[in-house]
Amino acid sequence: MSQLELVQELRANRPVASEALRERVRALAPPPPRRFELNFRRLVPAGAGVALAGALAVAVVLGVLHSGPKTSQVQVQAPPTETQRALGQKTPIPNALRLSKDWGPALAPALGRLQQYDAFMRVRVDDMDELSRSTQDALRFTRHLGGYVVWARYGEPGKQGDSELALRVPIAHVQDAIAHFSAYGSLVRQRIVLKDLQNKVDNLAARIRRLEAALGKAQGQRALELRARLATLRAQRANAVRRGQFARIALTMVTDTQPATAGRFGRTLDEAGSVLARELEIVLYALIVSGPLLLLGGMAILGARAQRRRADQRLLERI
Amino acid sequence: MKSSAHDFSEAAERHLDDVHAFLVYLTGDRNVAEDLTSETFARALERWRRYDPRRGSARTWLCQVARSTALDYFRAEERRRRREGRYALQVPETQEAAFGEGLSPELEAALSRLSAADRAVIALRVVLDLDGESAGRVLGISTTACSTRLSRALKNLEREVGSGVAA
Repeated sequence: MSQLELVQELRANRPVASEALRERVRALAPPPPRRFELNFRRLVPAGAGVALAGALAVAVVLGVLHSGPKTSQVQVQAPPTETQRALGQKTPIPNALRLSKDWGPALAPALGRLQQYDAFMRVRVDDMDELSRSTQDALRFTRHLGGYVVWARYGEPGKQGDSELALRVPIAHVQDAIAHFSAYGSLVRQRIVLKDLQNKVDNLAARIRRLEAALGKAQGQRALELRARLATLRAQRANAVRRGQFARIALTMVTDTQPATAGRFGRTLDEAGSVLARELEIVLYALIVSGPLLLLGGMAILGARAQRRRADQRLLERI
Repeated sequence: MKSSAHDFSEAAERHLDDVHAFLVYLTGDRNVAEDLTSETFARALERWRRYDPRRGSARTWLCQVARSTALDYFRAEERRRRREGRYALQVPETQEAAFGEGLSPELEAALSRLSAADRAVIALRVVLDLDGESAGRVLGISTTACSTRLSRALKNLEREVGSGVAA
């Protein structure tokens, strides 16, 4: 019998369902409708849509909330400080609370204790003129407070510019200095680190006293050694005291990338764009971190499917 | 596109013979095939909302459900046989014609000696006259693989018929 004859015979004599089976199938009742059916194929695009809408909503809301007037635009004349009065200086020192209201007043050093005070500030100013003016003012104001400039860098390579200043300000005036520098524009970052030096200085003083007492009784080579150690300890104490007397301020100023005259809508767009960029960054980070795991998971699923298909085929071939 | 219960009744009425024939060939047992046909349509009714006509015809989809139902049955049978200590799967011995009323005894016997995998592809491509793509979708393989499998199955059938006649 040829293959063609086989095919013809198979087609001519195909099995037919019995009437009883037909009745059984007709009698099947549809299941009660489910309230909620989890459909992965629909759930994924719906979830992605909701996430996108959520991300946009968060960006817009944060954009609107943060697009209020800039801190640099609410400069308020404050009464001159004692230092200014003493120096007869005309540079206005703005009200610290008003100008840095988003950050709160700068952390105050403790009275009666030696502390190392480090402040890092990043301020965004409106334009290049403002950057130049503020840099000069910061140098002048530091000197007026009795401090000094360790180093300064000022650069304006193109439309944007920045300046970095490392300053030392007497600890008693550090809050005035921070409030003053904050008023140059929008304070975008501020970090203050306080470290207690009092214990160290007290310990050094006690050791120096003990050495001085010992030196009174020592002679010859021993006395020379004690003097050398005493000199070292005194230098260390002087250094610690100096660190406690002058706060270190690292002030960075950058020009605003947006035109200073941008309206509220423009700022809203700018802020929303920043939030969206940040969200995108987080999503990318999450994808990079979870990417290998997702890939492995996908490969495992595909592998399991292929294995199951092969197992099914083997089963059918055995029967 | 949403599928209604009415559509299902129509599809069931139209394709009942096809599903039944496919299961008869797959199992080689009319009684088992009847039970599995009933089970297939019960499952299909439950999942009918998920059926998307754009992804294939109702007949193809019902045959996919039928194959999955039959595989579940085969696995359960294999486990049962293993538990009972019978390692070889046995082809059911029935007195009545299993695959078709008018088939010659040689062809009946040859079909019963073929594997379920061979009978499945013959049922889909020859008896139900499905095209290669649809049959491949039911079997979970490509169109090319389906053609290869059909060719091999028909050769096996031809050989079995020949050996039956010679005996």
